[in-house]
Amino acid sequence: MPRWGMVIDVKRCIACWGCTIACKEEHFLPPGVFFNRVLIGETGKFPTSSKLIYPVLCNHCEDAACVEACPTGATYVREDGIVAVDDTKCVGCRACMVACPYQQRTYYDEKTKNREFFPGQGKTEMETIGEKLYPFKLGTVIKCNFCSERVDEGMKKGLTPGKDEDATPACVNICPVGARVFGDLDDPNSEINRLIMEKKGKQLRKEFGTEPAVYYID
Amino acid sequence: MNDNHQNLVETMFPSDGSGIKPYEWMISPTRQRQWIDEKGIFLWLAFFFSEIGAGLYFMSLFYSFRPGIVIGWLITLVLGGIIHVLYLGNPKRAWRMLMKPNTSELSRGMWIIGVFAVLGFLQIITPGGFNMVFNFIMGILCLLIISHGFATMNVVRALPAWSSTVVLPLSIISGIWVGHQLLQLLFAMSGNATVVSGMEVWAATFFLIYILCIGLYAWGTWHMSDVAKISVKKMLEGDLKRATYEGVGVLAVLLPLIFTLIMWGGSTNGFLVFLRLASVLAGDLAIRYLIMKTAVYNPLI
Amino acid sequence: MTYKTDEIWEDKWVNTTCGVCYCGCGAKVRVVNGVPVKIEGIKETTMGGTNAGLCGKGVAGLMYYHDPNRIKKPMLRTNPEKGIGVDPKWKEIEWEEAYEMIATKMKKIMEDDPNKILFTNQTMRASDGPHNHPYFYAQAFGVKNNGNFIIGGGSLHCGNACHMLGGLIHGAWSIAPDWRYTKYVLKWGSSKGTGSGHSAMTNARLRADAVRRGIKEIVFDPMGNFAGGKATEWLAILPGTDAAVGLAIANYIVNIRGEMDELYLRAKTNFVYLIKEDGTYMRHEKSDKPLVYDTKAGEIKEYDDQSAAWEDLALDGEYEYNGEKVRPCFVPFKEHLKQFTVEWAAEISTVPAAKILEVAKGWVDNAQIGSTITIEGKTFPYRPVSSVTFRGSQGHTNGIHQVAAIDLMAQLVGAEDVPGGTLGWPAIRRAYPGGNYEQTCTVGTDGVIVPSVFYSHDPWPVHAPSYPATNMGCVDVWTHCTLSHIPYVEEVDYIHEKLGMKAKPEMIFGISANFIISNSDWDVAVRNFKDCFVVQNDLWINETDQAIGDLILPDVSYLEKDCWSSEIDAFFFSGSPSYEDWFVHLQKPVAKPIGESRFFMDVYLEVAHRVGVLDKFNAKLNDYYRIEDPELQIKPGEKLTWKEIGERVLKWVYGPDKEKIEEQGYATWHKSIEDVYWRWEIDSRCPVYMEYLIHDRRNMEKIFEDSGFDHKKLDMDMDQYTPLPSWFWPESHKDLDDEYDLLAFSYRDILHTNNTTFQNPYVDEVSQMCPYTFTITLNTTMAKERGFKDGDIICIENKYGVKEKGIVKTMEAQSPKVIGIAGQGGLWADGRPIAKGKGANFCKLLPSKLKYFDPVAGNMETAVAVKIYKVN
Repeated sequence: MPRWGMVIDVKRCIACWGCTIACKEEHFLPPGVFFNRVLIGETGKFPTSSKLIYPVLCNHCEDAACVEACPTGATYVREDGIVAVDDTKCVGCRACMVACPYQQRTYYDEKTKNREFFPGQGKTEMETIGEKLYPFKLGTVIKCNFCSERVDEGMKKGLTPGKDEDATPACVNICPVGARVFGDLDDPNSEINRLIMEKKGKQLRKEFGTEPAVYYID
Repeated sequence: MNDNHQNLVETMFPSDGSGIKPYEWMISPTRQRQWIDEKGIFLWLAFFFSEIGAGLYFMSLFYSFRPGIVIGWLITLVLGGIIHVLYLGNPKRAWRMLMKPNTSELSRGMWIIGVFAVLGFLQIITPGGFNMVFNFIMGILCLLIISHGFATMNVVRALPAWSSTVVLPLSIISGIWVGHQLLQLLFAMSGNATVVSGMEVWAATFFLIYILCIGLYAWGTWHMSDVAKISVKKMLEGDLKRATYEGVGVLAVLLPLIFTLIMWGGSTNGFLVFLRLASVLAGDLAIRYLIMKTAVYNPLI
Repeated sequence: MTYKTDEIWEDKWVNTTCGVCYCGCGAKVRVVNGVPVKIEGIKETTMGGTNAGLCGKGVAGLMYYHDPNRIKKPMLRTNPEKGIGVDPKWKEIEWEEAYEMIATKMKKIMEDDPNKILFTNQTMRASDGPHNHPYFYAQAFGVKNNGNFIIGGGSLHCGNACHMLGGLIHGAWSIAPDWRYTKYVLKWGSSKGTGSGHSAMTNARLRADAVRRGIKEIVFDPMGNFAGGKATEWLAILPGTDAAVGLAIANYIVNIRGEMDELYLRAKTNFVYLIKEDGTYMRHEKSDKPLVYDTKAGEIKEYDDQSAAWEDLALDGEYEYNGEKVRPCFVPFKEHLKQFTVEWAAEISTVPAAKILEVAKGWVDNAQIGSTITIEGKTFPYRPVSSVTFRGSQGHTNGIHQVAAIDLMAQLVGAEDVPGGTLGWPAIRRAYPGGNYEQTCTVGTDGVIVPSVFYSHDPWPVHAPSYPATNMGCVDVWTHCTLSHIPYVEEVDYIHEKLGMKAKPEMIFGISANFIISNSDWDVAVRNFKDCFVVQNDLWINETDQAIGDLILPDVSYLEKDCWSSEIDAFFFSGSPSYEDWFVHLQKPVAKPIGESRFFMDVYLEVAHRVGVLDKFNAKLNDYYRIEDPELQIKPGEKLTWKEIGERVLKWVYGPDKEKIEEQGYATWHKSIEDVYWRWEIDSRCPVYMEYLIHDRRNMEKIFEDSGFDHKKLDMDMDQYTPLPSWFWPESHKDLDDEYDLLAFSYRDILHTNNTTFQNPYVDEVSQMCPYTFTITLNTTMAKERGFKDGDIICIENKYGVKEKGIVKTMEAQSPKVIGIAGQGGLWADGRPIAKGKGANFCKLLPSKLKYFDPVAGNMETAVAVKIYKVN
């Protein structure tokens, strides 16, 4: 069984927000909800300061704080390492949201659901159709799922996640600079393991001790 | 500058300093919102009521005071429990929260409350219920419920201000102190002046420990880490300054201190006990509010 | 992914071309039940990012279709009063009425003088529409040249100087580093490869691989954000001072280090051309060709005399020709450079002298002068250094010299259109195998390359300034303007009066240009254009429409557009500049037009028909695509839709593969390596010594004298008409004083294309998550010293009392002497509620006086001296 992970090359990333917006379209996320974001900061002092750009998403941690905190078992780590939420079990206590040191979870309530991209002008056809194509359950917590639908369906078709577009997360496909690589962390020969080894991949805030499956190289 | 521009300023740079500028999210220490903002306020109340209910129940055990455990049981379950369930996104599925006691503090809390509900009910209806075994078991359960709120917060390693080691002692002593105060008032109301007066020495003791724990918490959190320090700073600056100085300084510490000094040596007075309780409850709410409101996450970059 | 439900009766992907900026990346759109719901790139294409890569705003393009604010019927102004803040009182009318109104007005004007019609174009809409067609569409009305065009989008901030020199040096509209082979890249006020510029995502993809390979990228920029923030090293520079650094580096190369690619200079530049005392070429008395000195033969020959070997042409010395002293123009050039020391440049630019020297050394060390590289069996000179610029550095009154100086260092080491160097986009478009449309550049007078296709006007040969001026832009006089600055100039009436310009514009017709707010001083723009009958094809009622528009026609967005022509002729700035296969994408409609919206090209055809010039336009189309097959030619009297015209043109361009290409949405074929690295394949010379400017100056001064046009009164600096790239202070710097002590500049945010993207809710919400997009940036220390903090609302005011408000955001990575504003925010059109009030508008702060425009290329001075203060 593979354990899916991702490498994000911050040297390549130009902060175009393609991942953020493609993810929103993929999952029909309403305004204000993000499964992918780009953190932009800076470090140092003029004139040698430097810009920091970190695209972030759910780290699909091996020892996920959210899974530990979830009182119902709705949040769980799949066999392939993807941290998923079973929306039939989630009670909406938001313990997972509070527990996640990476803050990658969103509570989906009436207010969120009712938001319109063009406020006060009604929902667009895309928003309406999205609610049918990709429904979220009210009162539950939603999050990045590493596009597990793509991964699952792609694998059913015999495709390889990370290589074939139809089996790969949307944020990886869209990245115009190839800053994202998706693959199997358990496969020593995978592209992502090679990158982690060669470029000394680092997990974001490793000290939180959750063993993220997302690595950063620069 | 039109309305939209003003809205944008409000979104990006809230004038009350409360929220976070969207671009500083997880780049600067970022405040916990789910368990205090908006509907999250329910959780604040739920934790508070469970605590005071269980505190009252706990103290009542020492006095074998049945009305005390009845009221404590009701406060914990009815006020604490219902408000808690109301907070949930899917209240009908609340039973599912019993599913993961092995890892989830919240789930363990649900079990404890469940057991407390059943055993407490049995103790209430059983004549001679105040026996050693019952008292011991219920005492432990009460302490667990008292600390449940803070324990649930304490396990959140991502929020340094909550994972401070002083959080649990503070929560236990605050539960005991508040419970004790409630009980003292109940005795005062039932006209039992001797007991009320006799309780005062404990009041002074608990209060002292309570103040000590508050101090320790603030000191410990300040010195714990840069991020935890920000939580303390947030209490002392901006909008929360008033809650800190008036809520904690005056209501939780100063007024009770004055009343305690007045009643020093057991010269208790029902009205003063009531005033002190009111002040203590408000102070406790303020402390809880501040701790929940100021917890910040470590920035990611 | 697909969650099939019973209600889904259609779920498909359609290939098209992205239309959110001018780059035109390949894009595919997921359509569910006729509704576009997702956009991605096309994996196979070289036009776009890695794999199915597309940038954020490209992905967000979906919202163009879904925006409920789009106009759905022609909108007619009923309030005759115009201006900012005046309600136009729109009334919906029928298309027929709109067409009649336009045709009637146009016919009436044309009876008088067609030059009284101005045409608008949009840099942003370029790739999402046909490219060059609006330009020659205008010609069908009898309009002669580019002086009748006004543009929105990047407006005049865009590349008048860059395009001019791009054309003269590379035969292309734009330049990029050869990311695949370069080692050392200098970027000057440009974000090529980090999100902006032409073929933005193509370049971003190529650059990402290059930085992974370990190239050094040094960025000169007032702020360390999009380009500087990703650079190996960011060097803070004051806006408009790049030329000083460039010239100092050139001086280092020539006079200090003395290492140059002399063969290149002899073979590929005009440095060997002999000049007279007055600086002009000595020309052959019969052929009129410039002359060179053959050292081996010891005689003066015509520059293209095959008997003289390149290596024997003299770069120095003094000779005599017909009794007149002559010398290679490199001699005074070399001498001229000596004044530009690194210390001098440091003083002007604020880049430390040691850094300039370090960069200069790095440049020569990495240039590997003399080395060669063999790629696919073909050997080329290898010069892995590239110096590129775009809007930032060239947008100043010294723009032409800025670009010339930045290009100069590449010239000196021979790093032009060879592996590793600076590439123009291909100067040649080869025909699709089996198809017919081929565009090849030619070599014109004096050995200078003439681009095969160029927008608005050809940079070479230079047209002699003439008088009287025939159109609003007066390009008869200012001949180097890609697009003219005169329409926006405050003193336009004086200029027109003196230069005998009689065609005072009466009508404006074109495509969604937001030229009132995107150029300079809004009030001047309103004053200059409000008397015209303004007709625009637009998606929304934008600021320009609201202020001065009379009739706004609902256009389709790129998602509803059937546009076969979108990229066919865009090779010279779109597609991959690198050695990668050709990809030409079609724009296929992915959804039905919203409301009664109509593709502007069909509106153009209908208007041309009603005005009676359709045959002329059709004839021009036949010519443009060089359609020889009589079956496919559009015949006189034929009235076709744009789609029907496409049926013919595509058949001609792609031959038997037409159907296949239409089906897949793009054509692809091999690009030969010689078409990428063409410098030594085409016998042409770069006019580095800008001799033509001497003649221009003489002609213009004569015109000014004859006409009584007092250019001195308007502070027009004729000294810039010098053949030697030189240092001139940008006008903004001259305005600095104790009160107005900061230079405001603008930059391109990766999320935004001018101002259209401000109306996109996806882009809007992530813009709010960016620290700098909607704010005004100040250096942290400077802000602190002046008492500003994040979130303060400040007013920026220029010397003419024009004010703009904005929100402060401090950043370390910005020069303490500047303030930065991302693009064209501060919008107020009621028709675009998402955009309204977001960000700050930089353009309005730019003064519109003639002296704030580059006297040669017409660039706007895009920095401005300002003061800032807090407002409540």
